[in-house]
Amino acid sequence: MMGPSITAYLILAAALFTTGAVGVLVRRSPLIILLSLEIMLNGANLALIAFSRYHGELDGHDCQGEDLAVAASEVVVGLGLIVAMSRRRLDLDVDRLTTLRG
Amino acid sequence: MVAAAWICLFAPLAAAAAITLAGNRLSRPGAGYVATASVGAAFVAALVAFASLLGRDGEQRDVSSTAWTWLSAGNLDFELSILVDPLSVLMMLIVTGVGALIVGYSIGYMDGEDEERRFFAYMALFVFSMLLLVQSGNFLMLLAGWGLVGLSSYLLIGFHQERPSAIAAAKKAFIMNAFGDATMVLALFLLVQQAGTLDYGGTFAQAEELASNGWVVNLIALGLLGGAVAKSAQLPLQTWLPDAMEGPTPVSALIHAATMVTAGVFLLVRTAPLFEVAPRIQDLAAGLGAATLLLAGLIALVQTDIKRVIAYSTMSQIGYMFLGAGLGAYANGMFHLMTHAFFKALLFLAAGIVIHALVGEQDIRKMGGLRRLMPRTWLAFLVGGLALAGMPPLSGFFSKDSILASALASGTYGQILLAAGLVGAFLTGLYTFRMIFIVFGGAPSEHVREHLHLHGRKEGPFWMTATVAVLAVLAVVGGGVQIAGVWHPLADFLRTSAEPLVEPSVAQDLITSAIAVALGLAGIAVAWWTYAVKRISPPRPSAARLTLERKFYFDEAYDLLFYRPAVMLARAWGNWIERPLIFGSISGLSAGTRGLARGVSDTQTGFLRTYALAIAGGVAILALVFVSVRA
Amino acid sequence: MGDVLVWTVWGAAAFACLGSGIAVVTFRNPFFSALALIGNLGALAVLFLLLSAEFVAAAQVLIYAGAVMVMFLFVIAYLGGSATEPPTRVSSWQGFAAAAAGTALLVEILLAIGLKGGGRLADEADVAQSFGSPAGIGRLFLTDHLLAFEITSIVLLVAAIGGVILGSHSRAERRASRTATGGGPQTPDDSWSGPSGTVPAGLPEEASAQ
Repeated sequence: MMGPSITAYLILAAALFTTGAVGVLVRRSPLIILLSLEIMLNGANLALIAFSRYHGELDGHDCQGEDLAVAASEVVVGLGLIVAMSRRRLDLDVDRLTTLRG
Repeated sequence: MVAAAWICLFAPLAAAAAITLAGNRLSRPGAGYVATASVGAAFVAALVAFASLLGRDGEQRDVSSTAWTWLSAGNLDFELSILVDPLSVLMMLIVTGVGALIVGYSIGYMDGEDEERRFFAYMALFVFSMLLLVQSGNFLMLLAGWGLVGLSSYLLIGFHQERPSAIAAAKKAFIMNAFGDATMVLALFLLVQQAGTLDYGGTFAQAEELASNGWVVNLIALGLLGGAVAKSAQLPLQTWLPDAMEGPTPVSALIHAATMVTAGVFLLVRTAPLFEVAPRIQDLAAGLGAATLLLAGLIALVQTDIKRVIAYSTMSQIGYMFLGAGLGAYANGMFHLMTHAFFKALLFLAAGIVIHALVGEQDIRKMGGLRRLMPRTWLAFLVGGLALAGMPPLSGFFSKDSILASALASGTYGQILLAAGLVGAFLTGLYTFRMIFIVFGGAPSEHVREHLHLHGRKEGPFWMTATVAVLAVLAVVGGGVQIAGVWHPLADFLRTSAEPLVEPSVAQDLITSAIAVALGLAGIAVAWWTYAVKRISPPRPSAARLTLERKFYFDEAYDLLFYRPAVMLARAWGNWIERPLIFGSISGLSAGTRGLARGVSDTQTGFLRTYALAIAGGVAILALVFVSVRA
Repeated sequence: MGDVLVWTVWGAAAFACLGSGIAVVTFRNPFFSALALIGNLGALAVLFLLLSAEFVAAAQVLIYAGAVMVMFLFVIAYLGGSATEPPTRVSSWQGFAAAAAGTALLVEILLAIGLKGGGRLADEADVAQSFGSPAGIGRLFLTDHLLAFEITSIVLLVAAIGGVILGSHSRAERRASRTATGGGPQTPDDSWSGPSGTVPAGLPEEASAQ
C-alpha cells in the first residue's frame, strides 16, 4: 500500500479519541458533550477501519456500520432529553443538574 | 442392710418433697410431724444398718452399693454410690438421732410461726444432705452433699427473710463456705488427675504412690483441709458461725452445733489415708484446731448474747476435734464429736426454752435469777455445762480427755498443742459458768419479772421439754461408750475405718485427765467468784477486752482485705471497661456505620462530570493493566 | 509520484480531522461546534477512502453528515440562545484530573500500538479490488454478524420510541395549557416520565406560558 502505514492511522485515531474524551470531561453544555462523544466514536471507527484494512477482512466495516447506527440512536435520545430539559426551563448546564446528589 | 441405708438416706428427702408439694393442704404442725417421723424412720433404718454391720467381721464391714452410673468418660466412672462402714454408720446414727430430737423440738419451738411448713421442709432437706455427705461412697457424692448442706444452711439461717441481718448472715455463711468448696474442688481435680478415680477405695489404695509425687498430695490435702476449715468454722474461716445465730434456735442446734459444722471433722477422718501421706498438712489441721479453740474460748468470755456464747463454745470444741483428728486420734475425735452433739444440742435447746419463755430476748445482761423460776431448765443447763467443761462422770470428760491424752502421746508438737488444750479447758469452764451464773443466778432481774411467760407450771411446750430431757440423759451417759484404758468398743468399732496413729497409754490418760479436770474446776471457781458471789469484779474495759469484743478484728480484716478490693475492682471494671468498651462499642458501631455511610454518600455528587471522570479514570487504569499484562 | 500524492492527501485529511476535532471541543457556540463536526466527518471520509473503504466512506457522509448532523443543527436552532454555554469556570481539580486522564489514555494507547505493532503493522494484507464493496459487507452482516445486525435494529427501534416519548406532551400538560390563558402556547411539561402524569420533586414547575 502506498502512503503511511496503518500505525499512522492508529495514532490519529488515538488522538481523536483522547480529544473527544477531554471534551466530555471539561465542557458544561450537554450539547457540546454530545458532540464530543461523537468525536470519540469517530476515532474508534477510524481505528476499526484501519485494522480491517490491515487484516484484509471486512469485519471492521461491519462494526463501523453498527457503530454508526448506535451513534445515531444515541443522538436521538440525547437530543430528545435536551429538548425536554429546555422545555422545563432547566439550565442547560450539567453542573446545575444535581438532583442525583447524595 | 444396704436397703436400710438407702431408706435412711431418702426418707428425709421424701418428707421434704411431700411437705413442699402438699403446700397448704398440710397443716402447720402436720408438716412438723411428717418431718420428725421421716427423720425418726431414718434413725430406725440407721439402727438396722448398724446392727447388721455389727453382725459382720472386721474385714467385711465395708459395704458399698451403687445406684447407677452417672457419668462415664474414658477411664473415669462417676457413680451415685453409698458406702456403709463403721464411720458412716456412726455419723448416720448421730445425725438422725440428734436430728430427730431437734426436729421434734422444733414442733414446739416454731409453733405459731407463719412459715412453719417451709421450715420443716428445709430441715428435712438438710438431714438428707447431711446423710448424703456421710454416706457417700466417692468424692463426687461427698461434694454433692457438701454443697447441699451449705445450701440448706443458707436457707435456714436466712429463714426470717424479713430481717436484713439474717439475710446478710446467710450470705456471709454461704460465701465463706463457697471458698472452702472451691479449694475442695481444686483438690478433687488434682486427685482425679493423679489417681484416675474419685472412689474412696480406689484413691486410698493409691495413697502411697501419690505420696511419691511430693507436693501434689500436699496440695490435695490442703484443698480438702480448706473445705473442712470453712465448713467447720475454724481459723481462718470462722467468722460466719457467730453471725449464723440469726437463724432459729433449732437450726443453730442442729446445723451449727451437732452436725454440719462437724462435717469437717468427718472429712478429716474419712480421708485419713490421704492426710497421712501429707503429714505436714495433718499437723497444720491440728495446729489450726488448737489455735481456734483458744481464740474462740477467749472471745466467748465477753459475749452477751446467750446463743453466741454457745456458738463460740462450739467453735472451740470443734477445735478439739480437729486437734484429735490432726494428730491421728481418729476414734477419739469422733467420740468427742458424738458427745459434743449431745451436750451442745442440749445447751442450745435449753437456751431455746429460755428464749421462748422470755419472748425472744437473748441478751444475758437482761436475764438473771431464772434458777427458781425455771428449775428444770436450770438443771439441763447445769448438766450441759458440766459435760462441756469436761467434768466426770459426764460424757464430755471421757471424750475431751482422750483427745488431750493423745496429744500428750504425740511428741513435742503434740505437747505444745496439749498446753493449748489445757488452757482451753480452763477457759471452757470459765465462760460456760459465767453464762450460767449470769442467767440463772441471783435474784430475778427486772426484765425477767416483766416478761417471763411460762405455760402454767410447765416451763415450755411438751415437745421442747421432752426432747431436752432425752438429750440431758444422753449427755450424762453418752460417755459410757468409751472409758479410756478400760473399755473401748467405739475405738474397736472404728478401727476398720480409720486406724489411729497414736494410742495413749493408761498413765498418760490419767495424768491428762487429772490436770484437765483440775483446770476446769479452776475455771468454774473463778466464774463463781466473779459472777455468782461477786467477790472479784470483771476486768475493766481495756484494749484487750476491746479486742475480744471485736472478735480479734477478723471481720474488719476480711472487710479490708477482700471486700473493699472486690468492690473497687468491680467499680473500676464497670467504669473503665464495661462502660467505654462494651457500651461504647455498641454506640461506636452505630456511629461508625453512620460515618461510613456519610462518607460513601459523599461520592454521589450529582455532577455528571464527576461520574464521567470516574469512568475515564477507570478506563485508564484498565488500559494500564492490559498494556502491562499483555506486554 | 503517486506516493507523494497519497502522503499529501493523507496529511491534509489528518490535519483537517484533528483540527476540526479540537474545534468541536473548544468552540463556545454549539452551532459552530456542530459545523466543525461536519468538517471532521468529511475528513474522515477521505481517510476511509485512502483505506479502501469506499462504501463506508459514502455511508459516513450520507448518514452521519447528512442526517444526524442535520438533526443536531435543527435542535441547536430550536434551542436558540439558551444553548450557548456560559463561560466555563473550570474547577481546579476537575480540569487537572481531566487532562491527566486524557494524557494517560493517549500514552497508553500509543504504548499499546508501539509495543504491539511497530514492526508487524507495517505489512498489510493485499486486498482485491472488491474490498470494501457493499456485497462483501452485506454478506458478512447476514452470516457472521447476523446477531449484531438484528440487535442493532432493535436498538434503533428503542431509540425511535424514546424519541417519541421524550418529545411528547403529557396529558397534564395539555390540561394545564387548556386552563391557562385560552388555549395559548403550550405550557411546560409537568411530567418528566411521559404520559403517566406523576410529578417528581425538585423540578421547577411553572405555569406560565412558554
